[in-house]
Amino acid sequence: MEKNIALIAKNIGKTFVITEDSHNTVKHRLFNLFNPPRRKKVEALKNVSLDVNKGECIGLIGRNGCGKSTLVKVLAGVYPTDTGYLKINGSTMLMNLGVGMSHELTARENIYVSASVLGLKIKEVDVIFDKIVDFAELKEFVDTKIKYFSSGMVARLGFSIAVNAGADIMFLDEIFAVGDMKFQEKAVKVFESSWIAGKTVILVSHSMFTVERYCKRTAYMKNGELVFFGETSKAVELYKKDNQ
Amino acid sequence: MLLKVASDWLHRTNKLERTWLLAKIEFKLRYYENKLGLFWALLKPVMDIVIYYIAFKIILKSDIPAFASYLFIGLIFWIFFTEGCGGSIQILQTKKYLYEYSNMNKLEIYISTLLSNSIGFFFNTTMFFLFYLFLEPESKPIGINAFYLLPLFFNLFLLSLGIALILSNVYVIAKDITQIWQVFINFLFFLSPIFYKLTVYRQSLPGLDYLNPVAGLIINARRTILENQPPEWQLFYFDFGYAILFFLIGIILLNRLGSKAAEKL
Repeated sequence: MEKNIALIAKNIGKTFVITEDSHNTVKHRLFNLFNPPRRKKVEALKNVSLDVNKGECIGLIGRNGCGKSTLVKVLAGVYPTDTGYLKINGSTMLMNLGVGMSHELTARENIYVSASVLGLKIKEVDVIFDKIVDFAELKEFVDTKIKYFSSGMVARLGFSIAVNAGADIMFLDEIFAVGDMKFQEKAVKVFESSWIAGKTVILVSHSMFTVERYCKRTAYMKNGELVFFGETSKAVELYKKDNQ
Repeated sequence: MLLKVASDWLHRTNKLERTWLLAKIEFKLRYYENKLGLFWALLKPVMDIVIYYIAFKIILKSDIPAFASYLFIGLIFWIFFTEGCGGSIQILQTKKYLYEYSNMNKLEIYISTLLSNSIGFFFNTTMFFLFYLFLEPESKPIGINAFYLLPLFFNLFLLSLGIALILSNVYVIAKDITQIWQVFINFLFFLSPIFYKLTVYRQSLPGLDYLNPVAGLIINARRTILENQPPEWQLFYFDFGYAILFFLIGIILLNRLGSKAAEKL
């Protein structure tokens, strides 16, 4: 495999089996012994193929329910694929409103655990620890359990860990909705200065402005299929047409 | 050559550090969050011993020599086994935050949880040796065979890991496993030689020392520590066989069922 490729997906497919009517109680189950819950198959991804180079920022657009989030979860290795071939070169991190954090742990513990999951050694976390706390503006609450945090504080902490620790391949699902305006400005600045330069990023967004600004190549999805993958302006055009 | 590759890998990756970090945090969450704290980890086996001592020594007049120490060893092995297996059934749900945002290997989550249990085991074993050496009136000197405790513990660890993997991955598709396991573990407790005299146990339930994977471990632990004899080798190998078998089944299930944990749980 070429060294500069971060991710290869060939003909990957993902189908969810959804039970429409689940019998949750014993009584319900007994009365419906011969009437099992109906199952429905939902094809979330159909034969999707794409490759992402190292250091590239890729956009991912499409209407609600088109399979963007499923694709991102499959590419990040969180969901297994049903069909096709997927090769991930390096650690991945999926980020939507927060990264994986336990509400039973303090901010300090979460920083160490999350950064460690992302592949950093303890000594490396020691070095960036203050930076993470300062960026998240949580200096006074380092040793507080995050279950006592407001949702904005949790999101800021998650964002800050992601910014400063980072994985080899970052999947960002609508991340610019985090925090208040002041924090968003800061987030955009960091995003531009540290992620665009050097990191492999897959950016999911409904903001065409953001996608056009940062991504050279963009994937446009519709009903679980990858309709177009290439120049951003063309993908945006297709998306806009679909929205009319 | 192989050693060099292994040491290079260890220096580059943070897997070991991460597993230890998760184990420490797990241990802290389990014991430091409560009012009794770590004291409880030490108090639990002592209280169990007192209960069984009253029942079997005082009421039923059991004639096992050094009965408190005999119970102690049986119980620390049993507690590790049940906490390691039963406590891990819902692990893929409670530790979801670790794998639903990244491609971290789930096996590390299991190992770290069992490592945290191992810290408890270590405390209990230390307590046992202190008790046996300084308080037990019928104690004999501890000999070189006590070192067999290390492979026996490794066997117990692997066995618990294998069963924890099986149970927690079955949990992904059938939540009822929690209730079924509770009944089963209760049954297994009374079919293990924890408070029975070994000769009576073997006479009444012949062959069970081979069928029950925990029984052999307890029997051999007592032989090596209390009697300063090498383990019963056939039983020793048999139990390792069980541990490896369960571990392999667990890994297969982790790949088949566990990979779907993020979407199913």
